[in-house]
Amino acid sequence: MYEFNYHQPTSLDEVARLLGANEEAKIVAGGMTLVPTLKFRLAKPSDLVDLVGISSLRGITDAGDALVIGAMTRHAEVERSPLVKQGIPALAALAHVIGDPAVRNRGTIGGSISNNDPAADYPAAVVGLGGTVQTTRREIAADNFFTGMFETALDRTEIVTAVRLPKPQAACYMKFKNPASRYAIVGVFVARTGGGVRVAVTGAGPCVFRVPEMEAALARSFTPDAIKDIAIPQDGLNSDIHASAEYRAHLVGVMARRAVAGCG
Amino acid sequence: MEMTGEFRIPAPRQRVWEGLNDPEVLKQCIPGCQALEKVSDTEFNGRVVASVGPVRATFGGKVRLSDLDPPQSYTISGEGSGGVAGFAKGGAKVNLAEDGAATLLTYAAQAQIGGKLAQVGSRLIDGVARKMANDFFGQFAAVMVPEQPAAAPAVERARVAAEAAPPVPPPHPMSTRLPPAVWVTGLAVIIILLLYFFTR
Repeated sequence: MYEFNYHQPTSLDEVARLLGANEEAKIVAGGMTLVPTLKFRLAKPSDLVDLVGISSLRGITDAGDALVIGAMTRHAEVERSPLVKQGIPALAALAHVIGDPAVRNRGTIGGSISNNDPAADYPAAVVGLGGTVQTTRREIAADNFFTGMFETALDRTEIVTAVRLPKPQAACYMKFKNPASRYAIVGVFVARTGGGVRVAVTGAGPCVFRVPEMEAALARSFTPDAIKDIAIPQDGLNSDIHASAEYRAHLVGVMARRAVAGCG
Repeated sequence: MEMTGEFRIPAPRQRVWEGLNDPEVLKQCIPGCQALEKVSDTEFNGRVVASVGPVRATFGGKVRLSDLDPPQSYTISGEGSGGVAGFAKGGAKVNLAEDGAATLLTYAAQAQIGGKLAQVGSRLIDGVARKMANDFFGQFAAVMVPEQPAAAPAVERARVAAEAAPPVPPPHPMSTRLPPAVWVTGLAVIIILLLYFFTR
């Protein structure tokens, strides 16, 4: 690890000041991706601005038809929250299968979506539920937030403050995980919402994406059989030592059908 | 990993060849390129800031051209090594064929990566390479547009195959015009980036 200056501000104004004053500064939330990167000396930020001291970024509130989850809320808190278990049980179940207990006790929802790892779980839920990302400057619809591999609509000094997730009529997340890292080789989040059916896929491509063809078929008939003949093109899907693009394309169909069945 | 690709560039072959050998054109198109200088007719030195997710690294690399058969083909190769993380090296055979008034550029590239970075980053290599290629060609298209106001769409297809896996085309719609210089440069950039990641 290279040397850096560590800051633990207690307000978002102070965070903005620190980021403005240090071009090479980096924000750290749970640090589950950033800290290993630093250990490998793959990044050399001048300053680390830790958001842990900002209490307003933490916590889960019930907004009636939606849950609002503070950016610094840990995966373990989402997993165990009675509000989440009751309002969006699929989200609690998703949080339960992120990484391992150590990761879940440190990692945060804001950090996960800001990092936008192609195999992260939360992007599938935020897109699948048609959520809204609240930042220090604006609100961004999930469909516009995730823009590419490790890329989001966020500016360098813009910080996610909370995620607003509408409560679905039914939802389910199914993932085929890498047994070592528990990252999603393919994860599919299916939700029936007031605005229609949404199918969001993570792990398979460079960035979370929706499958409009499945959504249309499920809107007509919400059964696993309704999508059994929909083939996902392997073009553009990830291919690595863990799974080929062809295999991932196949898994999208399998996980989607299981998720539909899991919606009950 | 291995990558192959094919682009149709709406420019005469000679011009594409010149673009591929022009450090100024390449510098504008390589993501994060801070400096690129021609050391000789066949050698370039460059410095690139590679930024992917949490990774951000500055790395210097060397690119060499060999087997020159202007304006038809050459082999471009690059290497980087460094530090505790490992090494990377790669090369690509680039071929330019005349296709009416346009040029058909094809390439076959290989990259080898070793050391700690290869272990940690193997999950992402494919995606990183594609992202870099997309960034490069997108920028290249932007650079070329003023000179080619009425150019026809140039991108035919691009494939990336990692390990022994099946071909994987880029997911994002690539920009519509790809100058040849861009391609060559892009390949070099990709190799350099891979080197970065694996070299730190």
